[in-house]
Amino acid sequence: MIRRDFLKTTSVVTSAFVLGFYLPTKSRASDTKSTKALQPNAFIEITSDNQINFIMGQVEMGQGTYTTLAMCIAEELNVDWEKINFKPATVNPIYNSYFGPLMITGGSSSIIGKQLEMRTIGAAVNKMLITAAAKRWKIRAYDIYTKDSKVFNKKTKESFTFGELSLDLTTMEIPKNPKVKDLKDCKFIGQPQPRHPKESWAKVTGKAEFGIDIRVDDMKYAAILHPQVFGAKIKSYDASKALEKNGVIKVKQIPTGIAVIAQYWWQAKEALSELEVVWDKGTFENISEKDLDDEYSNVMKTDGSSIRKDGDSQKAFKDTNKVIEAEYNFPFLAHAPMEPLSFLAHHEKDKATIWSSAQSQTLTLGVAIKVLGVKAENITYNTPYLGGAFGRRGTINADFVLDGLYVAKDESYPIMTLWTREDDIKMGNYRPKYKNKVKIALDTQGKISSFDAKIVSQSIFKGSPFEAFGYQNGVDGAQKEGLADHPYDINNHDMQAYTMNSPIPVLWWRSVGHTQSGPTVEGIVDEAAFAAGIDPIEYRINMLTDQRFINILEDVAKKSDWVNRKKETNVGYGVAIHESFGTICAQVAKVRVSQNDFKVEKVWASVDCGFAFNPQNVENQITGSINFGIAALKYSKITIQNGEAIQSNFYDYLVSRISDAPEVVVSIINSGEKIGGIGEPGVPPILAAVPNALFDATGKRYHSMPIKLRS
Amino acid sequence: MLNKIIVDEKEYSIDIDTETPLLWVLRDHLNLTGTKFGCGVGQCGACTVLLNEKAVRACQTPISEVGSNKVTTIETTIDKTVQNLQKFWVQEDVVQCGYCQSGQIMNAAGLLKTNPTPNDDEIIQAMDGNICRCGTYSKIKTAIKASTVEV
Repeated sequence: MIRRDFLKTTSVVTSAFVLGFYLPTKSRASDTKSTKALQPNAFIEITSDNQINFIMGQVEMGQGTYTTLAMCIAEELNVDWEKINFKPATVNPIYNSYFGPLMITGGSSSIIGKQLEMRTIGAAVNKMLITAAAKRWKIRAYDIYTKDSKVFNKKTKESFTFGELSLDLTTMEIPKNPKVKDLKDCKFIGQPQPRHPKESWAKVTGKAEFGIDIRVDDMKYAAILHPQVFGAKIKSYDASKALEKNGVIKVKQIPTGIAVIAQYWWQAKEALSELEVVWDKGTFENISEKDLDDEYSNVMKTDGSSIRKDGDSQKAFKDTNKVIEAEYNFPFLAHAPMEPLSFLAHHEKDKATIWSSAQSQTLTLGVAIKVLGVKAENITYNTPYLGGAFGRRGTINADFVLDGLYVAKDESYPIMTLWTREDDIKMGNYRPKYKNKVKIALDTQGKISSFDAKIVSQSIFKGSPFEAFGYQNGVDGAQKEGLADHPYDINNHDMQAYTMNSPIPVLWWRSVGHTQSGPTVEGIVDEAAFAAGIDPIEYRINMLTDQRFINILEDVAKKSDWVNRKKETNVGYGVAIHESFGTICAQVAKVRVSQNDFKVEKVWASVDCGFAFNPQNVENQITGSINFGIAALKYSKITIQNGEAIQSNFYDYLVSRISDAPEVVVSIINSGEKIGGIGEPGVPPILAAVPNALFDATGKRYHSMPIKLRS
Repeated sequence: MLNKIIVDEKEYSIDIDTETPLLWVLRDHLNLTGTKFGCGVGQCGACTVLLNEKAVRACQTPISEVGSNKVTTIETTIDKTVQNLQKFWVQEDVVQCGYCQSGQIMNAAGLLKTNPTPNDDEIIQAMDGNICRCGTYSKIKTAIKASTVEV
């Protein structure tokens, strides 16, 4: 979620200064074996044997941030691209995110927040290397250039490797204002680049280490019996049978359940069924989905907290003779990243080592300090690759992190706590359930004259450390984003929010509140276009004022040959446009309906993220986001019954598969406007383009997900 | 009890309960962590390995069923089909988070060993049991197709 008011004030130039600061080296101590080097420093390590390591404060969870941020450095620092290495950073404020005083990867913010800093740092080191070589050769900097991790003397063709100059760099001053190329002059940035080969090869050969893959000496494994009913507590338990099972070392109660520690994880997991637990299930045991639906519907009868109120909505509705109403229902959704959640920790009295695949290193470290009672400087923090996240590993209540820490606390060996897929699906931290009631009035030209909405959901931010900026005046940031700031020229609004409460923890899910505002706004606008008898793209353009939106819509119309789209039986085309995370994305979806099923056959996506640093990654992220959205459109839902989630694994929590994947054509417009993110903005438009296409194919509107076609 | 298994041409003896799934033997006993855990119920394909050249879900294969059959994992250094697929996976820029790709590649290898030149429908049918949450499906299809052209 983009919160410009939260933008840190530290300037990029200041950040470049830290280049030469020496960080606490503990966790990278093993890296210093390769003799003396310009290291450790904050962002770039150059060893004397010319190993060039880029230190990444952002986590790589599939979004391609390692590659694109490295491109930013490499644009200025002329390295041998294929030979660079990536090293995850330790926890240090110099890596703090765009969002404020913490390291966190999310909100599609890595490029927005870090690109200029990385380019500046690359430029600084490049300049330092040239200066160092100039001194050695006693020639002017003008006669020196860098290429492929080497510094060349233009005249004599002599060269130094960066590594050979690394020691010189350690005593040099860091350039205060290194010149950074304009984006339009960049040769590397802006060109399509595949995933860095080091990462790609590690991942296709099974060598990449995800959190779940870390193996250390003497480690044990733990599985946890969690409550099934949300909010349930343990009254008592009997572990005697579990303790008799092969390999089981210990059973211990932790705040969220009972942990079985065994020699191997399978043994721990098998022993869970031998635990006898008496639960205090609490009051939520009496609640099922229908109760929640009733509660959500009833609350709308009262006045909610104002999201947006301007003009005179009541008058607009009195003056019109065309009103459209719709109720949108979006279920709780699990993120279900492919790598189940895990945490590895070794607690040794006053020190600890942890391996965490959480999205925020700072939050994880904070929790570790608290749970283990160990000082920050005595915790060695490791970040492996993340096997997908989609927001799930940015856990606010720190669930899997806490589990791992409590399990390992006071034990004499390292323990890998690994959740089952069932834990992942049933333990909450879902995208909130939303019930959105909207009502629009059309004027005599068919334009929307008033837009009223009631948004009912649990709050992601209320009660969290982010409450101050994510939950204000009774409105959750995720209820508001993409709705209150929709792009259409409408004069009257009355939009209200209602905050529901339950023991089910909720969380940001790829594109967060835009997963509800996108399909709501773009669904009702599509209905308005139809009611007005105007082509849906033309209708939108008529109501838009921002030229960027208009350009993107015109582009997607052109790429999809919208005006000449073929009218086939059972085939429909739908359009949607939505801005999120600073990026505008329009999509046209082509669907084919057969009996009670439908297939998204093709999607044309046009995207304006200001400037595409790595167009290939933009394409990959948009395509991936569309498939992620199709899962929610067709299949995924969490249903509450007697206080627990009915679904538990991929046989009942369905996601999209290769047979669901459409052909995707991505068109990028470099508008040169403010830079936006790319990991999430592809999701919201597909959530509206597909229902709109289904209307085109069937004449029926679909307001709820997952979509079940009506005969 | 003592079980002998052959993984990627190497023989191992493991003292283990015979009902233990092959997946956990590979990951936790042999530290061959390239083979991934995704669901534990044969629904996602992340744990796919070859058993005598045939794609199986390691999470659904108890070690007792492996016997003297050859297990091939993503970490193989000799299987040409797997290595060829890996090359095209990189060339087509398939991976995002990469976690499911071990299973995707091994499942594709299983397909190609029975059908060296699958058409689109056959690829989709064979690969439909492998989930990728990052949504790299179209590139998976392209990579498999590309690999069959140039073996």
